[in-house]
This record gives sequence, structure tokens and C-alpha cells, in this order.
Amino acid sequence: MSAVANVSRAASYSLADTSLVVPEIQSEPLPIRLVQPAPCTQACPAGINVKAYVSLIAESRYDEALAVIRQRCPLPGICGRVCPAPCELVCERRAVDAPVAIRALKRFVADYETEAPEPPSPFRKKAEESVAVVGSGPAGLTAAYDLALAGYRVTVYESENHPGGMLRHGITAYRLPRKILDREIETLCRAQIEIRTGCRIGVDLDLEELLERGYDAALLAVGAQLGRHLGVEGEEKCAGVEDALAFLGRVNNGDRTPPGSRIVVIGGGSTAVEAARSALRLGAQSVDILYRRYREELLADPEEIAAAEAEGIAFRFLVTPARVITDGSQLQGLECVRVGLGEPDSSGRRRPIEIPGSQFMVEADRVLTAVGQEVDLDFLPAEFQPRLLDKGLLSTDSTTLMTSWHGVFAAGDAVSGPATVIDAIAQGHRAADAISRFLIHGRSLRAEDLREPCMPVEYELPDTSPIEAMRAEPKLRALKPGREFTEVEGRLSESEVVAEARRCLRCGPCAECRICAPSCRRRHLMIQRSGNNGGQRNGEGVLLRTPGTIALSLSSKQPTRGRLLPEIRPRNLLEIGPQEGEPIEILPVRARIHKALCRGCALCADVCPFDAITMVMDEDSPEHARIEAALCRGCNLCAGICPTGAAIPTALSPEWWNSKLDDCFDGELIAEESDQPYVVLACQRRVGAAGAALYSKGSRVEVIRFRCVGQLQVGMLLDLQRRGASGVLVTGCQNERCRFGRGARLAADQIEITRTILPLLGVDPDYVQVDWSSERRTDPIDRVIDNRVLTDRVLTESSRETWQI
Amino acid sequence: MADLAQIRRSTGAALCLECGKCSTMCPLAEIADFSAARVMSMQDPEAELHGHADAIQRCLTCAACEERCPQGVRYTDFVRSLRPELPAKVRDPSPHGEVFQIAATPRNGHSTDWDWLEADDGLCVAQEGEVALFVGCLPLFDAYFGPQLEVETVEIARAAIRLLNRLGIEPVLIHEECCCGHDLLWRGDTDAFETLAKHNLAAFEARGIQHILTVCAECCRTWRTDYPEFSGAYQPRVEHLSEFLAARLDRDELSFRWSSNGAVTYQDPCRLGRQLGVFDPPRELLRAVPGSELTEMKRSGRDALCCGTAGFIRCDAASRQLQTERLASAAATGASKLLTACPKCLIHFHCAQQEDHRRQRQPVAIEVEDLTVFLSGALEDPGPPTTVEPPGAQQGGDPS
Repeated sequence: MSAVANVSRAASYSLADTSLVVPEIQSEPLPIRLVQPAPCTQACPAGINVKAYVSLIAESRYDEALAVIRQRCPLPGICGRVCPAPCELVCERRAVDAPVAIRALKRFVADYETEAPEPPSPFRKKAEESVAVVGSGPAGLTAAYDLALAGYRVTVYESENHPGGMLRHGITAYRLPRKILDREIETLCRAQIEIRTGCRIGVDLDLEELLERGYDAALLAVGAQLGRHLGVEGEEKCAGVEDALAFLGRVNNGDRTPPGSRIVVIGGGSTAVEAARSALRLGAQSVDILYRRYREELLADPEEIAAAEAEGIAFRFLVTPARVITDGSQLQGLECVRVGLGEPDSSGRRRPIEIPGSQFMVEADRVLTAVGQEVDLDFLPAEFQPRLLDKGLLSTDSTTLMTSWHGVFAAGDAVSGPATVIDAIAQGHRAADAISRFLIHGRSLRAEDLREPCMPVEYELPDTSPIEAMRAEPKLRALKPGREFTEVEGRLSESEVVAEARRCLRCGPCAECRICAPSCRRRHLMIQRSGNNGGQRNGEGVLLRTPGTIALSLSSKQPTRGRLLPEIRPRNLLEIGPQEGEPIEILPVRARIHKALCRGCALCADVCPFDAITMVMDEDSPEHARIEAALCRGCNLCAGICPTGAAIPTALSPEWWNSKLDDCFDGELIAEESDQPYVVLACQRRVGAAGAALYSKGSRVEVIRFRCVGQLQVGMLLDLQRRGASGVLVTGCQNERCRFGRGARLAADQIEITRTILPLLGVDPDYVQVDWSSERRTDPIDRVIDNRVLTDRVLTESSRETWQI
Repeated sequence: MADLAQIRRSTGAALCLECGKCSTMCPLAEIADFSAARVMSMQDPEAELHGHADAIQRCLTCAACEERCPQGVRYTDFVRSLRPELPAKVRDPSPHGEVFQIAATPRNGHSTDWDWLEADDGLCVAQEGEVALFVGCLPLFDAYFGPQLEVETVEIARAAIRLLNRLGIEPVLIHEECCCGHDLLWRGDTDAFETLAKHNLAAFEARGIQHILTVCAECCRTWRTDYPEFSGAYQPRVEHLSEFLAARLDRDELSFRWSSNGAVTYQDPCRLGRQLGVFDPPRELLRAVPGSELTEMKRSGRDALCCGTAGFIRCDAASRQLQTERLASAAATGASKLLTACPKCLIHFHCAQQEDHRRQRQPVAIEVEDLTVFLSGALEDPGPPTTVEPPGAQQGGDPS
């Protein structure tokens, strides 16, 4: 299908549509959060709402974009520079041309902020408890930030004179300018975090002593800052062989001593590349990186590798050092040996095997080693070391992040080994969450707390790309004398950034950035707090579509505040709610059990797709069903199957059905013969309702939407018949497309029973029609139903194709 | 608001001494926080009805309490009179999505589907005559419960016709009949009930029916006790099939062949037993089946325990407990079959058994069967009058 054809189809639609009045969309509150977010958002280890900030940047709403980033990343400027951007790896735009340059976008909005933002205010009342964080690297700072926002008093202990940990010592200024680093940490500290620099735990203050100062929990985020040794002959005695991390630390502290002229770096991670590029900047004549595997297995970021090669650094693969050659104490070079690759090891990479007799000499007057990092254990009292360590790293419970020392948690590189900044931030969040739960409940995080019961969703990508632009790559500055340590990577211009953000295909559901909530003048939103986290996270909630009207702008020339362009599926939109000025309403998005009516038959537990229902027994009541709020996704299948009426559907009062009927029948108990509506019972995904036009035979069409038609009961269908509906169409997704797995099957059972009952009441079984659609119908079809004007047109044109965008 | 004082007087609730004897019989009072006396002590309906809403809806209306009441209070009538007064807000939904109440509501068309009748071409029904069989909701139950529970309620109607045919009677079936309205009446939808009652009465009167037989305890009670209010001069005789058949036993018009059931036991439906006083006819019929020995459960006759739900009005944990208890006490008699004269008892017991089965609990090992179906199955083979001799008789030796 050519792009032109698609565009013209959309255009013809919007032309045809100009005569339409704004349709009523009958819709129950729909929590969008129930489905998995866009791939980029899923990919971010720290959980940054990537789609949201990219969308906001596309509308030049930079401050709001930055606010979205800060919800999950307190160091946006840093991440915007050094993050390996896992989001870009999964970006759907790759299928069109190249991924959206998400990292560059983030950097732009972080730099765009000229004034420091308002200090964030804690969202929970000041708590009694206080927490000590050891280490001010990205993991420690993130955890401290989260904990401070949760109301705890947080003190960060840092052994160096400036905070930042590996951000400061491991990453050089040409990648991460110091003033950006300082500014970001300063901004972060405005969340009432005390940082004590120059206080080395284990030297200035014992860990035990620290905990005796009255902290209720401690987080060890000390990083892994000791370089591993090569383990080859002659290494120890030679001054010319140095740990690359130590070298970087010196350089980043301002030591500009030239390291030598022929530099050899051993290793393939980012530390190796970083050290090599720094050595080059300090005047080295040649810098070689020796790596014992293939290029494809380099751990450093591909962009960094490319930049290093552009600067003249040579990579030599499948080489490993065998011996340090010295002349007295003077380094002469390395005796190296070539390797081949054998069977895959535990990491899945093929194990290097030395090739006998392939020794050769590499001359060098300086060797920098970057072959792995370990935790510097000096801070730990000797008696605790065996208890807390595992293979040179701190050992924690993988779920709770607590060490075997009660109340002492650990996170970051010290636990995982060397990793990226974004991984450290992710660990910081988790540690803060775990500590917060530990302090509130006296227990730590459980595995089930981490469970993410989101439903995967199939989304459609637009047939045409909204913007045909190519990916904007930041320019790299060439290495110039005197400017060795100024930032290499250039910044995108504002126009480039907006164009780049518009390349986003906006896949997946609504991003739920929640930026709309405070600014929504018409109060068209509902926010629901998810029940069980005790308000620990600020603004945690779900956007709900609410009944009401939506002013859907279908002209592509008028991007409204919500950016309601035609290429965005209406289900991605924010919908709308009660009258202007009404407060935001909070509704539970889960089914309930009316205990007194539950007979304990467990049919609901059998049918629940989320295992949210368990059978329990209380002191005062016999066995009954209980719905776990955290797991219930509000599909209402339980309400459909419940034989006793004990399961009450999501967000709906028991009178919901009657109110729907009143809408359909204009409040008449039995419809008058001249005004019998044709009723469509439809899946909320707006599927297939177009069929109504084929069956309604001129009756007024009314649509009742279900979260899932699996909620259907025989009584509902008979009730419609009793009250005088001229016919009923049940429409939903085909079984395999049902997001709840079995909705269509359950509904089909009920319809089958109804069809056997109808003749007993003197009614044709065809009174109930079914349309299981394999396609997801979009709003225009609903308009067809809602707007009677068009019904006839659909019948004449009869091709549903015409009505799809 | 109807006059509470009037209700209290007319049902005898005003005479309540709060002695608590009702609670000693009440199956709910044993297992739940339920007290009939507490409801009757209500003085100000405006203020108190709300608080008693649960108790009013929960009552099984099994009338066990009335057996013990020294003052003769008709508590079931009292509760039934209060139910229409309950505000919609406090009304609990009825089980099965209210499908039976909704299906019972009178509609414009009533051409009932009679395919079930044609499924057995040996059955004879008449177009005209004095005796009619009221089929009621049996086909509806079949359609609704058939796929879930292994019950075939419409077979009860076929069995009834088979039994009547054997007596030489071809019953009239009235195609215009609707549900008797029992469930609507007991849930408090008195207006809808009245419409149904008048519709059914008119349909039967128009065909000149003077004798109506039912195979459902609830239909029987409704036709006999609740319809006369609307029937005016038309006063047909209403009988449960078991009464009609039992009366024929003495006249030797009906005989059964030997059947190897061993012990069977009988569940008295509340409507048929305590409310209509029909205890003996079903038992007489069972005793007339050679090879089947009637054993009584611990609570039987006037003391019988309800099957847990009356009229699909409320089903909850207490219902399940009563069903389980009742099945267990039936099994404790050593009987192989539990027979009942009400299709709803049949459905409820099947439901409880199937539930146990589904939840991998050991279901109570007893077969639940409808009395009419059982009797029809025990009929002697028609045709040449060759009586099958019981094995015992054969062993005794035939001198010829």
C-alpha cells in the first residue's frame, strides 16, 4: 500500500467529516495503564516515560518534557550525554529508517533549562525515620532523591571531596562537562539531601558507628572502583602498568600530566575507551586498545567506539597480554599472544583460547588496564566481609536488595558489577522503594510487589510516517589543541529537536505523562490512585476515559493541545469527563465482591485472567472470593460468570446496567413501538460496531460499552428484549484477540444460552446478532453508529474499508 | 409504604411473643446471624426497614419456623409482604443475573417452543379436555442449566405425560401458558405477578380446564394458594402430580415394576410439604415401587430442611452449606437416590454436587433425581402384560 493512497484516504475522511457534529462517545472509565506502554518506555531500566517526553518535545513543551523525565531520572543532563539509550534499540522507527535520537532529545531539554527548577516538595509528610546512603554515585543519589521525596531524612556520605562517584571519576569532561555534573547534583540536592563529602567510611567513620548514629536504614552504593589486575608476569613490579580507573580518576581531578607517548589499553569496556581517549587528549602519540574478543563483543557503547576510532585510536582484537616486558623498572612493552575463540562461556560469549606460539611484542611506555572492577572493601569491618560478599561484590537478596545485615541495603555497581548510569539509576529507584517499604511495613519488598501485571497490547503503526525526516545526529567536534577536554558531542538545534521528536511513530497506548491533568481546563480527566501502594509514589494513577463528549479535531492542520492528529488512534487520546469545574473523581478500577452474596463457588477465580481472585475464609464469614486490588485489571469477567450477583463490576455501581438501559430507552420502562432502539453491546475497544448498521433496519442505534463483552449475562440480553429493544448486536474481539484472553468465549456461551431461551419466549433466536471482529475498528465506525445521518451511507457504500483511517 | 401495622395483623406477626422458638427451627439461624423475631419486632418501618433489608431478603421462606410458633405467626407471608416495600437501593441482585425473573415477565408474544414434546413421539396430549398439565419453566431451566449442570428438567414434563398416558389420560397443554410467577411474587414484584396470574388464569379458563396438574412444588403452591385472589369465579382444582397419582394407587390403576434401587430417600420441597401439607402422596408412590425402600432423612416431613434457595431469590454461602448438609444427611440414610418433587431442589442439589466436583472436593455420593422421572422410569413396560418378576420371587421358586 503506497503512502500516497493512505494519505488520500485519511484526507477524504476528514473532508467527509466536516459536516459531522461532535459525536457522543459512550464510554466507561478506562484505565489506560492496563496495557503495556510503548517499547521505548518499557526498555528504559529507570522507567522513564520516554514516549511522553518525546511527544511533549514534538510540541516544543520542553519544561513539561523535562518534568516527565525528572519523574524517574533525577540526572537528565547526565543521562542525556552518557546513557547507552536502550530505548533507541527498540524504537519502532528503526523499521522505517533509523530510531529516534532519544538521548539527544533528552540532552536538549536538560540543557534548555536555564534556571534551576523549583525544589521538589516531598509528597509524603515528613517521616520520623532517617536513612544513610554511602556513596554519591548515580545509584546513591537517585535513592537519596527518592527517599527525600518520600519524606525521609537522608544523609549521603562521600569519601571524595566532590559528590558524583563514578560520574565524576570515571567519566571524563569531554563527554560530561563538569559544570553540567555540578549543576545536576546541585539541583538534585535541593530535595533536602545532605551530602557529607570527604568522609570515608571505614577510615573517618566506621560503618557500625554510622548505623549507631540513629539511622533506621542504610544503603551501600559504594560502586566498584578497584581495577582488576591483569594477572600476568611482571605486572606488579612495573610502575608503567596502571589501573585505567585510577588513571581516569587522576585526570578527572585535574591532573594533566602526559601519560607517555605510546599507550596501550587493555580491555573492551567503556572504561578502556574512556582511558584511551583521555590519554590521547593528554598528548600520547599513539593509543592502542587490545581486546581479546571480536569487535562485536566490545562492551563499550558503539557511538563511543566510533568516536574513539575517529580520533585515531586503534583497536586490536583477539589479542591478550602474556607478560610485561621491563628493562629494570622501565616498561618496554607487552608480550602479547593471539587468541582464538572456543566454546561459549557462562556469559554466552565464546571463550578466548590462546594460540600457542603466536607471541609477539607490543611496544609501550604506558599500559592502562581496564579488565574489570571490584568493590573497594576498606569500608567494611573485616568480620563482616565474608557475610556480605560474593565474588568480590556485595551480596544482596535479589528482590529486596537487603544484605544479610538487617536494615542495610546495597545497590549499584557494588552489587551488579560495572554497569551503565541508567542501570545505576534504576537500582537507586529500586533500593529507595525497598527501603521505603522496609521502613513502613517493617518488611521489605516481596517478589509480588514487583510483579507488573500489564497486558501486552498489539498496536498499529501508522501506515505512513508522519514526518519523512532522517534521524538527526549530533555533530562531533574534532579534537583541537587546547580544547581537549571540552565536550565533544554537539547539541541539536531547537528546530532539529522538534523535527526529530516528530519522527516518533507514537506506538503503544497513551503515554500517561499526566501533564494534562493539572492543566486540563475542562476537568476532563480522572486520576485513579492505585490502591495498594499507600501513596508512596507521587501522582501514581491511571488516566481514565470518562463518559462525555470529546471534541475530536480531525483536521491535520490543527494540532490541539492534546495533539489529536489523525494518525493517532483515538484510544490514545485523553478523554474526558464531567462538567467544568468539577473535581477530579477517583474511582476504583477493579471489581469487588459483595461478601454477603458470595457462595464460594470459585467460578470467578477459575475465570480470572490475572489470578487476582483467591478463595479465603474470615473469622466471621465462610469461604468467599477476594479480589486482590493490585492484580485486578477490571475486565469484569468475574461479574459475568458470578451466579449469585456477588461480583460487582469495575468502577460501576450495581445500578450501572439500569442507568445504561434508561439511556437506551429514554427512561421508558418499555420502549414505545415507534421508538424501539437497536442496542449494540460492544467491547470497549470499539470493535466491529459497524455491523449495527447492517442489522438495525432503521432503528435508532444505542451502544452500551463493556470493558469486555465477557461480562455479558443472559439476563442482560433478555432484559433488553423485555424492555423493547428492536434487536441486539453483541460485538467484540475474536477470541485470540481478546486482551483478557477468554472474553469472547464467555460471551459466546451466554449468547448460545440466550438463543435457546428466546424461542421459549416467542422470540426469534436471530434477535441476538453477533459480530466477532478480527480487526480493531476505529472511531469513524462509531460515528457511523452515533450519527444516524451516516448510517444509510454506510449501507450504500457498504465497504467498511472506506471508513477506516 | 404499605401499612406495617396491617401487615403485622394480617400475618399474625403482631402476636409474636419473641419466645425465639422460630429460631430453634430456622435453618439459617443455625449457621448465620439471622433472627426472625428481630424482624418482627420492627415498629417503625420507615426507619427500620432499611436495617432489616438483609434479613428480609435472606429468609428462605421455607416456613420451618411456622411449625414451632406457638402463636401461629405466618412468618413467610410476613416477609413476603415486606419485600415489595424494600427500596430498590437495598435490594440485592437475584442469582443468575435475574434471568428467571426477567424471563418470567409477561411479554407480547407467548408462542412457547414445544419442540421438547415432539422429541418423544410416544406421548399423547389432547387439544381439549378437563385435565391440563402446567409445564411452567421446565424448558427454560433446561436451556439455562443444561449446558452447565447435568440436569434435564424438561424430562420431568415428558415423564408426567408418560405417567398420565398410562392412566389413560391425555393431558391438555396450554401453549399460551407463562411462568406461574412464583419468583416474581416472592421477590416482591407483585404487579408483574398479578399480570402473569391473570394471563395464566385467562388462558386456562378459556380452554375450559377444570383440573390442573403441576410437576413443580412452587407452581403448585402458587396456583393453589396465590392465584385464587385473582381468579374470581374460575376455581380449578390444582394438584401436584404426586397427589393425583397417589390417589390412583388405591384404585389399582397404576402399578410399577420392580426396580433395583434399594433404599431411596425423599426431600420434601418446602412449598409442597409445609406450605401445602403434601407429605404423604409422594411417599405412598415411592412405597408402591417394588424394590425401592423409602428411608427417611434425619429431618423430614414437617421438619425437613430447605434445599438452600427458594425461587432463585438469593444464593449465598448459607445456601451452599444447607445443600451440602442436606446431601450429606441423604447419603447418611444409606439411600442410593435422593428424590425430590420440585425441579428447583433438583437444580440446587446438582449445582452443589457439580461445584464440589469442579473444586476437586469429594462430592456427596448420592444420585439426585426428580420424583416424577423416577416414577416414570419404574413404570411397567407397556404392551403385553408380562410382569417382570423380582429376582427374589424367582429364587423362591415358582411351583409351576
